[in-house]
Amino acid sequence: MSVAASPAAGRENTSPGRPPALELRGIGKAFDGRPALADAQFSLAWGEVHAIVGENGAGKSTLMNVAAGVYAADEGEQTIDGAAASPRSPMEATAAGLGMVHQHFRLVDSFTVAENVLLSLGRRGAVRTIAQAGAAIIAKAREIGLPVDPSRVVADLSTAERQRAEIVRVLLLGARILVLDEPTAVLTEDEAKALLSFVRRLAGQGHAVVLITHKYREVAGFCDRVTIMRHGRTVLAGAAVSGLDEAEVARLMVGEALPAGSRPLSSAGPVVLAVAGLSVEARPHGQGLAGIGFDLRAGEVLGLAGVGGNGQEELVSCLTGLVLPQSGAILLAGRDVTTVPPRERRRAGLRVIPSDRFDSGLIRDFAIADNLALSRVADGAFGALLFLRRGRMRQTAAEAIDAFDIRGATPTVRTGLLSGGNAQKVLLARELDAGMTVLVAHSPSRGLDMKATQFVRTAIRRAVEAGAACLLISEDLPEVLALSHRVAVMNRGAIAGCRDIADVTPEWIGALLAGHA
Amino acid sequence: MLDAAFLVRRQAPGLLLSGLCYAGGLAFGLAVSAVLLVQAGVPAAALVDEFLIATFLTSDGLAQTVTAALPLVLVGLASAVAMRVRFWNIGVEGQLWLGAVASTWIGLGGTGPDALRLPAMLLLSAAIGAAWIAIPLVLKLRFGVSEVISTLLLGSVAFLLVQHLLFGVWRDPATGFPVTAAFLEAARFPSLGWGQLHGGLFVVGIVAVLVWFMLGHTRAGFYADAVGLNPKAARAAGLPATATVVGLVLLSGALSGLAGMTIVAGTEHRLNQSVGSGYLFSAIVIAYLAGARPFWVVVVALALGAVFTAGSVLKVFYGISEGMIVLVQGTVLISILMAQFFGTYSLSRPGRGEAS
Amino acid sequence: MDFLVGWIAIVPSYATPLLLASLGLIVCERAGILNLGAEGLMAVGAMTGAIAVLSGLDPWAALAAGAAAGTALALLFGLATVVMRADHTLSGLAVVAVGLGLTSVVGRPYMQKTFPGIASFGDLFDIDRTTALGRIVAVQDPVTLAMPVLVALLWWWLMKSGSGLRLRAVGENPAAADVAGIDVQLAQLGAVLVSGLLCGLAGAYLCVATSHVWVEGMIAARGWVAVALVIFARWNPARALVGALVFGSADALVPRLQAIGADIPVYLAMMLPYLLTLVVLVASSMAGRASGEPSFLGRIYLRQDKH
Repeated sequence: MSVAASPAAGRENTSPGRPPALELRGIGKAFDGRPALADAQFSLAWGEVHAIVGENGAGKSTLMNVAAGVYAADEGEQTIDGAAASPRSPMEATAAGLGMVHQHFRLVDSFTVAENVLLSLGRRGAVRTIAQAGAAIIAKAREIGLPVDPSRVVADLSTAERQRAEIVRVLLLGARILVLDEPTAVLTEDEAKALLSFVRRLAGQGHAVVLITHKYREVAGFCDRVTIMRHGRTVLAGAAVSGLDEAEVARLMVGEALPAGSRPLSSAGPVVLAVAGLSVEARPHGQGLAGIGFDLRAGEVLGLAGVGGNGQEELVSCLTGLVLPQSGAILLAGRDVTTVPPRERRRAGLRVIPSDRFDSGLIRDFAIADNLALSRVADGAFGALLFLRRGRMRQTAAEAIDAFDIRGATPTVRTGLLSGGNAQKVLLARELDAGMTVLVAHSPSRGLDMKATQFVRTAIRRAVEAGAACLLISEDLPEVLALSHRVAVMNRGAIAGCRDIADVTPEWIGALLAGHA
Repeated sequence: MLDAAFLVRRQAPGLLLSGLCYAGGLAFGLAVSAVLLVQAGVPAAALVDEFLIATFLTSDGLAQTVTAALPLVLVGLASAVAMRVRFWNIGVEGQLWLGAVASTWIGLGGTGPDALRLPAMLLLSAAIGAAWIAIPLVLKLRFGVSEVISTLLLGSVAFLLVQHLLFGVWRDPATGFPVTAAFLEAARFPSLGWGQLHGGLFVVGIVAVLVWFMLGHTRAGFYADAVGLNPKAARAAGLPATATVVGLVLLSGALSGLAGMTIVAGTEHRLNQSVGSGYLFSAIVIAYLAGARPFWVVVVALALGAVFTAGSVLKVFYGISEGMIVLVQGTVLISILMAQFFGTYSLSRPGRGEAS
Repeated sequence: MDFLVGWIAIVPSYATPLLLASLGLIVCERAGILNLGAEGLMAVGAMTGAIAVLSGLDPWAALAAGAAAGTALALLFGLATVVMRADHTLSGLAVVAVGLGLTSVVGRPYMQKTFPGIASFGDLFDIDRTTALGRIVAVQDPVTLAMPVLVALLWWWLMKSGSGLRLRAVGENPAAADVAGIDVQLAQLGAVLVSGLLCGLAGAYLCVATSHVWVEGMIAARGWVAVALVIFARWNPARALVGALVFGSADALVPRLQAIGADIPVYLAMMLPYLLTLVVLVASSMAGRASGEPSFLGRIYLRQDKH
């Protein structure tokens, strides 16, 4: 479903006949059998700023990772400046002139900027000492108009400064094509504007820049062309920005029609979870919580959509009780549990499905029966005095395996050996128990196949119909839309908009996801 | 280097492979030790004789082996229990020394009724061992100080205390040697009539069964496993993570202290400079070889008891220093550690599409 | 005053082994390999040094022999941790066991035999011993005086040179180092061998220069003190010098007190260095923030793991 593009008139200074800086044709890539890219196309001209836009999982980063040598494509062709290229490592890509600035910078935190550059440049070339590295950095910084102080330690730099250091490092390695992956995600508005202006200037000096982003509106004013991807395919290749309508872009990103799944909420019950003004300091490369607040009622599903990295992890950690917030309150059925340990929250009916099931949910080396019993042993469900009733644990496990149709499992099988879907079922079997009143589900069907995903959604739906409440946090937009009664978007550690499902339109949600408050 | 491009972590090393690696490492380590011993002057035939026949197949030898194994079981359990919750108790020897000191204080008489002497020694040695490990525990929980170093340094301090006492107030007035007077009768484990074996056998047996029961069949053991494997998930599920760690670490100290008591009340009947020597590494080696499982701790402790017994014989007849025992343990440990490599990783070429 | 001068005079010789071992450990740990085997490495160095002297070699050759022995044992450690990727803590403990056990068995015939040590400045030159300074200098030997130089050189190499930078990168972020084309394992192995050399030298110095005799157990947990010192030093050679002097002072206090016949409980006094180490460790941990610990210390790096 590609829309052919005509080269933009005006801001481009590619002389006719000059080959494109980067061209990707028919790129296909699958991980472990699951397709990430299918017949993806991309074409980049010298001197232009080109945005690749799309929802999470659309394949934008994957495509550029292929171009930058991080992944090898299963099929398709790539050319850099007209010559065929298939870089098998980032170093090869950089040698060919393509450098990528990832979301997680490849910098050694405790080194200075100059030391990091020296490390990358290695033993080749003219830069041999820290002093020479410093001089090279200052010269390049001046040349491109980006302030970077070579003597500062990376750990002390702000994220914006770190990003600038990384950009200079990549350029010093010889990149003429610069690919930036979600560069504005971690910047304030002013910083983002400064970066985008710089990118514009850089292109004007003869480089070519690719911006991978989901925030279309932010970059629209600085780009020449746009490519939109969805589900691993290119749905709009290299269209001139001037000819595009914002709403149209939002719709193309999200899809023509929303999956039917909206149902009216007959009557919302009492508020079972209230979060107000919750703030958590940001971790070094993360996003904290900025006074987030919302109410959750019995019998409803509140879906928090939004790209990861906007504070979702921190919110879940706070709600679980693993992290204490700096300020704000969490009320569970009216009771203040902000500083209360996880055990008490569980007793009050809180259940959590974390996004990484083996990180804080299940214990990989435990038998299924043990994982299922994990949360109830402390309450004496399997032996109140001394003796641990393993027989009872096995019995309970056998029942759960039956009820949840967990394949490849007996109570004594090590949980780490199960497939993703079955392991998730174990987690669900444990969490969706009789005492549950509030379920916090973070990306519950991530990494699961169709069947398992259906199972998870049905289980949640049933639990909510029985009177529980669910806070669904997911990057998978169709999932959020399919299950939720109300939909909100999480952005920069706070809620940016909330509506009943019946009032959600592609434009509204596309706009919020793209970063418009 | 060469292998960097080809090493891949195995998803699930099978039981068979892990077992083979373990056995292979063990065999290799023992073989190297045997070679070293032969180099040091022990005839090869004597090795088999001393290590296998004399220690297990003669009545006297077996009695000696079991007797030597008693404190080893306790220190092995001590190390294993701490390992369960990822706490490195390297100071087992120090806790053992203090347990012995506490027992000596009661055993020399002068305080308390005779009838309560042994029970008092049991309780006090355990308590003081727990107290001594409580210091590094607090330092770790509160200040994040590495317990590897703190337990070990306190172990050295404990030994110096023993020296202070042995060369000071407890020195034998008759001979002037750094040895205490003999314990009162009431402060000794009764002999069982088979070699040097003493009543401590029952104490150790009961303790081993209790620890086995606790770790495998009680809620506390369940918590310990969970906390040791994934403290974050355990905490999120509502388990009392900190209390579990504290409980098990204190138990570790108590077991070590008890081991000290077993030695002075069972075999030595006095405090001297060699009571605690050699237990530092034994504790860790036993716990590691046994996979921190109580039953296997007993098995490995018996095997090591044989080594200790053989070691004393070799010392007398061939002049091999007791350090040999430590050398054997170190060699076996590092061999098994290296052998694990084959079970954990496999050599294969990265497939198409792998990240570089 | 007399006591003070006498004390200051011997502090450097007590600090030197601690410093040498700490420097070796700093190099090793800066590359990400946690080295708990110092005690064993020092022991083999000490024993080898003693055997060398007793076999007729001159003391300097004995020091070199000790360093070589430490390097050899460190090769085993490097094989286990760098190549076979075994757990660092357990491997270190195993190396201590091998070192202590080996020296106990092999060194038995050489125990308790005294020998002359290396020449001090007082022996080499004619120094006026009537002044305090004169007395202090006369007791020093070339090794102790070379220590500050070694510290400076090592500090410069680690912090300012290109190869030192690459080594530090391996310990901080091996993934980044790998991507930059550095051979992570080669760097780590080299660092391990250097630590073996310096720890072996430390042990040899302790035996040949300070004690003049080989006795089983003479290292007396100084290897562990060195491990703790590295934490106190925040993995910085310059701070290690300070730490070694502090501990050397405590270590030297007891023999000094004994020499003047002071009536002190000897064994209680000998606890001082260990307790001091503990106190300093706590203080270091409390200082929190910039602990300086290499980010990837003790962790196993595998390129195929996700980083």
